[in-house]
Amino acid sequence: MYFVLPTVIFFAIFFLYPILSGIYYSLTKFTLLKPPVFIGFQNFVALLHDRLFLTSIRVTLGYVVGSTFPVWVLSLFAAVVFFQKFRGREFLKILFFAPVLPSLVVVATVWVVLVNPNGILTSVIRPFTGQAEINWLNNPTLSPITMIIIHDWTIVPFYMLIWLAGLSGVPEDLRDAARVDGANPFQTFLRIELPLLRPTGVFVACISMINAFQAFTLQYTISPGRGGPVDVNTTMGLLIWKYGFQYYRMGDAAAVSVVLFAMIMIVTAIQLAFSRGDQYSLQ
Amino acid sequence: MTEQTQATATSTHGSAAASLRLPRWRPTSIVWFLVALILALTFFFPVYFMVTSSFKGENEIFAAPIHWLPQDFQGLGDYIKAFDQVPLARFFFNSALMATIDVIVTVIFSAMAGYGFAKFHFRGRRFLFFCVLATITVPFQILIVPLYVQVYNYGWADTYAGLIIPGIMNAFGVFMMRQFCYALPDELLDAARIDGAGELRIFWRIVLPLLAPASASLAVIIFLFSWNNFLWPLIVVRSQQLQTIPVGIAGFAEPHNGQPQWAVAMAVSTVATLPVALLFIFFQRYFVQGLTMSGMKG
Repeated sequence: MYFVLPTVIFFAIFFLYPILSGIYYSLTKFTLLKPPVFIGFQNFVALLHDRLFLTSIRVTLGYVVGSTFPVWVLSLFAAVVFFQKFRGREFLKILFFAPVLPSLVVVATVWVVLVNPNGILTSVIRPFTGQAEINWLNNPTLSPITMIIIHDWTIVPFYMLIWLAGLSGVPEDLRDAARVDGANPFQTFLRIELPLLRPTGVFVACISMINAFQAFTLQYTISPGRGGPVDVNTTMGLLIWKYGFQYYRMGDAAAVSVVLFAMIMIVTAIQLAFSRGDQYSLQ
Repeated sequence: MTEQTQATATSTHGSAAASLRLPRWRPTSIVWFLVALILALTFFFPVYFMVTSSFKGENEIFAAPIHWLPQDFQGLGDYIKAFDQVPLARFFFNSALMATIDVIVTVIFSAMAGYGFAKFHFRGRRFLFFCVLATITVPFQILIVPLYVQVYNYGWADTYAGLIIPGIMNAFGVFMMRQFCYALPDELLDAARIDGAGELRIFWRIVLPLLAPASASLAVIIFLFSWNNFLWPLIVVRSQQLQTIPVGIAGFAEPHNGQPQWAVAMAVSTVATLPVALLFIFFQRYFVQGLTMSGMKG
């Protein structure tokens, strides 16, 4: 009992209390200088008419959908590749894994150079596009895609690790049995490995979505004007920061937080529903 | 561990024994090698670009075709400029301080709590564990406003206390340590009790040493998260001498920054990544295990 006490007290003070007070602040008018004033659901009603907030929901959902799908496919593909046996595998895996290490700020700094209008990324795809200059960050259509490319670059190797752990959990005799029965490697993957990877898949899908819902750092550092151009990169995470720490509208920021929380809770609930009894489930 | 590996190796004798040997260059393995090579080089390229560019002259960063190695080699010139322009050493110290405290406190208290939840029976155990665990599902974005208000009311805004204390514990650590504590043999603990050892002594002398591998995994990933943490330090700290590396260098990433100095920015980025890279190189196994168990980044 005494061993868990410090932790329980800490979590009560720095998790439970802020969650409850955050919900309370979302029902108040609060600017940090004066004590919060209770106003009921007015903040939420105001959000319904807040164009920036509605934009941010669209931006966030677009980012979640757009960034996660390539992550699933690419990371699974990479895991299958690095699960094979060939020389130099461990070394190549280390090179592949490197993007996980730098902080998102460093990632942003390096990629700003790579996505310069006449920089390296432009010249790499020039044979296909024929364009000498591409405005990766300032073009409103392209900018969110650029964010997704950068984000996925740093996150794919990480999910590769998770898939790899899942793949090594598939019993070797099943693969052998399939091979004896004349299945080719592709059939083995589709019929044996993929079904057994379901728990890993649920985990990867949900965690990557939950992480994408919270997108902030890239949008803060490299989108022009913090969330631009024309707010196409204003995610809900960025909006919370704007309302809370640029305009000191703590009540509004807390209300956006509550909405984001609810959206993430839906994903968490889906994960729990799908992963009952699985290796990664929370219970 | 070794025994287990051997057991599986003998049970699936033929194929497993063969796979332990280094595969020869068969056509399929060459194809896999080439695909892996392309993947590895594509993903490693930006890191390579960062490190090589930190030794380049300012005018060759955007050189086309790319300079694979610096032609206008600057030596440590870009690094010296970096340390001149921002108090990089101070940022480094702040990050190191925060990460070290985070690691030590998280590991010790997670081990304590994990041990308590795994090996002791008390009223409300399941409920309390569920509460701690539920915090894993609470994204930090949700907490920043109320947590900042709380820290502000404590008078901790813009102090080391505000920077470090709220992030000092981690529910994932408790969860992970509990899993490892279940594996500890009860007989060993009971034997120590019969020998008259106090509970705290048992924890320090028996439990904690047995948890060393798990602690190492937890420690490296907590270090990674703490070192790379951006959002909380950005909010809670205003004065430059308290800023951590990610916040301190964020200005270098802004494309509309008056006079960008990209070579210097690459030097700063390399310095910021160096500790984590070294940690990865030396503790790769723990790193991979910890990250696989945590399922968090970013």
